[in-house]
Amino acid sequence: MASPWWKVALSEEVTSTKPLAVDVADQPVVLWRDAQGIARALEDRCPHRRAPLSRGCVRDNGWIQCGYHGWSYDGETGRLKDIPNMKDEQKFPPVYKAAAFAVSENGGFVSVNLDQKTLLAPPAVRHDMPLGGTAHVALGHDQWISALFDDPGLVLDIRSVQFTPYLMSDLREENGLLVMERFCQWGKLHWPSYATAEFPITLITRTDPETGETEAVLRDDSFRTLLTAQVAPVPAARGVTQVRWRACIGDELKGSHAVGLRHKGSFAVRETVDAAALRVLIPSASHLANKLREDIRSAAPAVPSSVSAAA
Amino acid sequence: MLEVADRSASSDTDHFDSAAPAAPKRASGPSMNAVNNWVPHDLVMRDSWFPLAHDHAVGKTPVRRAVYSHPFYIWREDGKVVASEFHPLEIVTRDKSPYTDARGRYPVIEHYGLIWGWFGRPEAADPAHLPSLPFLPPKGGLPKHMTATIRFDCSAPISLENLIDLTHADFLHADVVGDEKSDSEEVEVYYDSETITMVRTLVNKSVAPIMKFFSGIRQPTQNVRQVIRIYLRSHCAIAYGRFSPGDDVPLFHPCTPESRDRTRMEMVMNTSNAGTMFRHVMPKAGYKVSRQDSSMTNPQSPRYMDLSPRKDLHSRFDQAGQRYRLLMMDLAARQDAGDFAYRDNVSADCSDIIGLRKELFQF
Repeated sequence: MASPWWKVALSEEVTSTKPLAVDVADQPVVLWRDAQGIARALEDRCPHRRAPLSRGCVRDNGWIQCGYHGWSYDGETGRLKDIPNMKDEQKFPPVYKAAAFAVSENGGFVSVNLDQKTLLAPPAVRHDMPLGGTAHVALGHDQWISALFDDPGLVLDIRSVQFTPYLMSDLREENGLLVMERFCQWGKLHWPSYATAEFPITLITRTDPETGETEAVLRDDSFRTLLTAQVAPVPAARGVTQVRWRACIGDELKGSHAVGLRHKGSFAVRETVDAAALRVLIPSASHLANKLREDIRSAAPAVPSSVSAAA
Repeated sequence: MLEVADRSASSDTDHFDSAAPAAPKRASGPSMNAVNNWVPHDLVMRDSWFPLAHDHAVGKTPVRRAVYSHPFYIWREDGKVVASEFHPLEIVTRDKSPYTDARGRYPVIEHYGLIWGWFGRPEAADPAHLPSLPFLPPKGGLPKHMTATIRFDCSAPISLENLIDLTHADFLHADVVGDEKSDSEEVEVYYDSETITMVRTLVNKSVAPIMKFFSGIRQPTQNVRQVIRIYLRSHCAIAYGRFSPGDDVPLFHPCTPESRDRTRMEMVMNTSNAGTMFRHVMPKAGYKVSRQDSSMTNPQSPRYMDLSPRKDLHSRFDQAGQRYRLLMMDLAARQDAGDFAYRDNVSADCSDIIGLRKELFQF
């Protein structure tokens, strides 16, 4: 399986003033912007004495400088550029470098690919979305995706929206994505979902089978888009899932609940999962999803990707 | 230009303390130069004095210390210090270790204002193996404000490797000791089988902010001679800085390996000869500087817990640290082979080696 692109930060989190530490599973990554404003990513480990580069600083010329002994690296190649007090001896053999990762930025996300020579096209997001956030969830990446499939309400919080267990369309593969549509209700006094004849809104999710990156679209029964969100779960250290998201509210909103979505905080990824509810959540869509994800994974050609394998 | 101390991988060793919690056994490493074969968490030094407590910290009530996870309870009986592996109130249910006498007592000695415990074969304990610290009064008695207890969140050899490479100070501790700007920087390294000494000479270095504020140094630059001397077995270091203009700052910087990944420092800084302000303030800098060090050595430490095929990069400023790694591995290999003898005398006066201005330190 080719190494995927992971959305490891929101664009505004990556600056040229302070390096940002993120991780993809057990691989620590440091992000910053160089002098041209281009986002750069290196392994967050100085090859000199293994200190995290993210505890250093960004120099005026865009190099990242380790805060321990001051070694400086160029972000594009990872090459060592400067050791303090070495004066005019600043030419280093090519092995003097930190592991560099491929970086791409669009749609307000910064993505990295741990395979610097990846042939996979960087992800395209349709347009910039003004809202955004990051949630840290103490739940493994696969489990987080399964919860999203079986009960989005455990991991997502959309103001006034109640997710029902009723699917409008089963999970299926569509252009390489896992797509499903779920009925939702507004959170007001109404018949319980099992006794409701009609549902006012639906949530469509389109999920990348490898990364779990999901576009979620909330629509009303007149086919108006109320909310669009891009949600990117990334496996982080110690089994934590870091979820970055962006969202935008639809232009045409009818009804008080829909209009209420315009208020601040109408979309969020939950920081905590109700473990008691999660434990007894009956697998449904996720059962099929796991099979499909497995099939898609095994069909793809294997490509080595991890840094440690390459080093 | 870039130097790597090249050695065959023959000193690839497994040194374990059978009584300490077991670490995963290392496979014999791939062929690589020995300096990169560095797994400091596996090093266990025996037949050595370790500084465990300031003398003023121990009274009739036992205090608890450890060396490589082995318990040391220390208290005074009729004014005399004793160290035992059992608490006096403990109902003993575990076996005595081989490191104590029949009563479970470790050899213990009081010197330089510190209490030293012997870890190793009790019959080999000898005051002649106590490190030479010529800037400390042998009978103790320095004021308490010149002492402190500080802990480092890393393995003891990592803390010492941090210390012996002073180029880190210009970045991590710039707000205390000044930045990296100087006209020239020279590093010399001397060593024997038990010690390593690094001398760093800087010409026209930016004045240490702490001296600017508390010693009233008006000049923009100062010449600096810094000496780090490590007693390998006891994990004790001397850090002696001579600043001109400025003060002489001799620091006793032990790194007692209480457990595999945590280190205790019973520091003593003899600032008796400096001005009133500096004398009181400088020893306090340890509280700040140690946190700055831990911010790097703490994340660094787990990255050295296993043998890695990825080699560290080195510069010419790292020769002292590289030599320290090799000497520690050599000593550990010797101990693994059952050779605990001291081939060099650690208690011989090292004043000349560290360039101590003896006239300032007469006891």
